[in-house]
Amino acid sequence: MSLKTNLPAGWSRRSLLKGGAALGAGLAAAPLLGRSAFAQDTTLDFWQFYAPDGEVKSQVDWFVKMVDDYNATMDPKVKLTYVVNTEYMNGTKLATSFASGQGPDIFIISPGDFLRYYNGGVLADLTPHIDAAAQADFPETVIANRMVDGKIYGIPMEVEPMAFYYSVKAFEDAGLNENDVPQSWDQLLELGQKLTNADRYGLLFETNPGYYQNFTWYPFMWQGGGEFQTAEGKSAYDSPATVGALKLWQDAVNSGAAPRQVLGGGGGDIVANLGSGYCAIQNVGIWGISAMDNNAPDVPYGIFKLPVPTGGKYVTVGGGWAFVANSKGKNPEAAAKFIAWALASMDPGSVQRVVDWCTVAKSDMPPRNSALEAGKEAFNKGNLAKFANDIHPGTRAEPRVPPEVYKIISDSIQAAMLGGTDPQAAATAASQQLDAFLASYTGAPLL
Amino acid sequence: MALSSTSETVAGSKPAASRGLTTRRREMIAGYLFVAPDALGLLIFVGLPMLLSLGVSVFDVDGFGSFEFVGLANYQKMLVDPLFWSSLRVTVQFAVMLVPLLYVVGLGLALLVQRTSKVNTVLRAMFFAPQMISLVVVALVFQLMVVDKLGVLPRSLSFLGVGGLSLLGNPSLALFTVTVAAVWFLMGFYMLIFLGGLQDIPREYYEAARIDGAGRAQSFWNITLPLLRPTSFFVLIVSTVAAVTGAQAFDLVYVMTKGGPANSTSLLISYIYQQAFQYSAFGYASAIATLLVVLLLVITVFFYLITKGGRFQYD
Repeated sequence: MSLKTNLPAGWSRRSLLKGGAALGAGLAAAPLLGRSAFAQDTTLDFWQFYAPDGEVKSQVDWFVKMVDDYNATMDPKVKLTYVVNTEYMNGTKLATSFASGQGPDIFIISPGDFLRYYNGGVLADLTPHIDAAAQADFPETVIANRMVDGKIYGIPMEVEPMAFYYSVKAFEDAGLNENDVPQSWDQLLELGQKLTNADRYGLLFETNPGYYQNFTWYPFMWQGGGEFQTAEGKSAYDSPATVGALKLWQDAVNSGAAPRQVLGGGGGDIVANLGSGYCAIQNVGIWGISAMDNNAPDVPYGIFKLPVPTGGKYVTVGGGWAFVANSKGKNPEAAAKFIAWALASMDPGSVQRVVDWCTVAKSDMPPRNSALEAGKEAFNKGNLAKFANDIHPGTRAEPRVPPEVYKIISDSIQAAMLGGTDPQAAATAASQQLDAFLASYTGAPLL
Repeated sequence: MALSSTSETVAGSKPAASRGLTTRRREMIAGYLFVAPDALGLLIFVGLPMLLSLGVSVFDVDGFGSFEFVGLANYQKMLVDPLFWSSLRVTVQFAVMLVPLLYVVGLGLALLVQRTSKVNTVLRAMFFAPQMISLVVVALVFQLMVVDKLGVLPRSLSFLGVGGLSLLGNPSLALFTVTVAAVWFLMGFYMLIFLGGLQDIPREYYEAARIDGAGRAQSFWNITLPLLRPTSFFVLIVSTVAAVTGAQAFDLVYVMTKGGPANSTSLLISYIYQQAFQYSAFGYASAIATLLVVLLLVITVFFYLITKGGRFQYD
C-alpha cells in the first residue's frame, strides 16, 4: 500500500520540517547579523520628503547637489533618505523610528512639530556651530520659534507666507479686475458670494482638520489683535478677535461662498482647487506660484494679501521647514556641523544655496537677510516680487504649540466652521481647555 | 483498517514504537510542528504586541525613549477625556450602521446571485470586485463622487431637488457617507460568506416547503434565515470587529475626512493612531487600544453566549 501525498516528488514531511526549521533559524539570526554589519556605518542619515526619489526634479537636484558638495570635502558623509510626503507628515515612520531609538541623524520639521521633538529631548543645539554673523542674519521673526533659552535648535530653509490667489478668468467673467481685490473681510465675503455659481465656489479655506488648517487660520485671529496665550502663560483665546476670526470662516461656509470640502491634497493644493476651477479665490501660501507655473501654466491667476477686519492690522503667517539634528543620533555634533554648513554659514555658497532653494527649487521667501539681498533680482520679479514687497513684510512666524494645544484650537475651528457651533461658544470652550492644559504644561515656552 | 495502514505508512517502514514513540504521538508531534509556524507568527505578531501594549498602557511614554510608571493613570485619563468619549460614540454609531447594512446587503446580494448561471457568475465577480481595489483608491473615488457641487451624487441629488448637500462636509452626513463607502467595499466578501451558507442548505427543504404550499417569503423566514444562523453568527462577529478595528474603519476615514468635519468621523481607532503617532502619547494610546480589545472580547463573549457558542444545536 503506497502513501499518496501532495508533496513534490523527492520531498518528505521530515525534509519539509527540517527545511522549515532551518529557514526559521536563518530568519531569527538575520537581524543579529544585520546589526553587526551596520554597526560600523558612520554615515549620517538625512530624512526628508524631497530627495533622492521626490517628484520635483529641481528640488531633488538641490538636495543631491548639497549633499554631494558636502561629501566631496567633509567627513562623515551624509546620505539622503526619501520618505513620501504624507508618510513623513502623518505616518508612523518618523514616530516609530524615534520611539525605537533609531531616529534619523538629520531630519526636517515644521514649527508645528518643534515642541514635540524639543520636549522629547531629541533636538541638538546647533548654536556652537553657527557664527555670530550668521546668527544675526536670520530675522527674529523667522528664527524665534526654533530657539529655546537663546539656543538655536533648527535652521529654517524657507519662509512660506500665506496670501490669496484668484482666478483672472473668474474675475473677468464677473466684470472685475485686479483693482477689485478685497481690502476688508466684509469685501472678501461679498466678493466670494459674487463669484459663486452653480459649478464654482467664490472662496476657499482649508476644511480638513490638521496642523495646516490651524496654520492658515492664525493670521485671521492675529489681525484683530487675538492671541492664544497671554504673556503670563494663560489662555487668551476667548477674545473678540478669536471669535471674529472663527465667525469669518463660518460665515464664508454658511453663506455658500466657501465649500465644506476641498479637492486634491487639501486647501494647500492650488492646482486641484483654483487650477481646476473649483473655486475663484483660494487661501494659499507662496508655494502656489511654482505649483501653478509648473502644473497649470495655462490658468492665469493673481495674488493679493490677506484682507483685514475693521480696525484690524495686516499680518500674515509664515510657515516653512527647518533642518534639525538628532541629539540621540550617531554623531549629533557632525550632524549639527552639516546643517550649519548647508544653511547657516556666511560662506557665499551657503547663502546662494538658500537663494537657489527659494527661487529655483521652490518659490519661497528666504529666511536670511543675506539671501534676500543676494537673490534680490529674482525676488523682485513677477509674483515673487508681490510677496517680497507687499505680502512678506507683514509675516509673523507660525506658532509652535504642543499637539494638545493644536488639537484644542483645531477643534474650535472645525466646530465653528463646519459644526455650526456659535463662534463665541467655541472660543470659550477652547479657552477653558487651554487653561487646563497650560496649568500643568512644563515644556519649552509656546510661541 | 485503511486508517491504521495509512498511519503506519506515514510513520515509515520501521515499527511505530521502535524509537520509544507511538505512532499516535509521532503524528501529534508532526501536527504541532506544522501548526507551529502559524502559531508562532500569531504569538509574535498578535499575542506579544497585545501583551506589550498592556504593559505600555501603565507607563507615560513620550515616544523618545522616556518611560515613567503611572499605574492606571492612562485609564483614568480616558474617563475625563471628552475626545475619547466622542470617538467611542462615533465608533458605536459606525458599528450600528455598518453591521446591519453589511448583513442586509451581503445576504441580499447572495440571494440575488445564488443560482448558478453565466449572468450570476459575472454579477458575483462584479460585486466582489471592490475587494480587489486598494482602500485608498476606494476612498478617493468616493471622495470625488460626493464632492460638493461637482460630484455625481450631489449633482444627482440637486437634479432631484435636494440641492446644497455636502455629503462629507456636513457633520450629520459624513459618517453615513463613510459607512456607505465601507459597505460598498466589503459587500462582496460578505456575499461570498452568505453564498457558502446558502449552498449548505439542502434543496429538499425548499421543495418540501413548496409542496406544503409555502411561498418564497415563508421559505426565507422559516428555512433560509434559521439555517443561516451559523453563517450569521460569523458575519456579525467579523463585521463588528471590522467596524471597530478594521482597515476600512481607519483607511477610509483617514483619506476621506481625516476625522472631520468637527470630529464627526473620528473613530476610536483613528484617535488611537492620532495619540500614538501624532502626539507621541504611546502610553495613553496603548491604554485605549487595550480597552478596545476588552470591549471586543466582551462583545464576542456576548455573541457566543446568546448563540450557545455558535453551534446552534436545534431541538
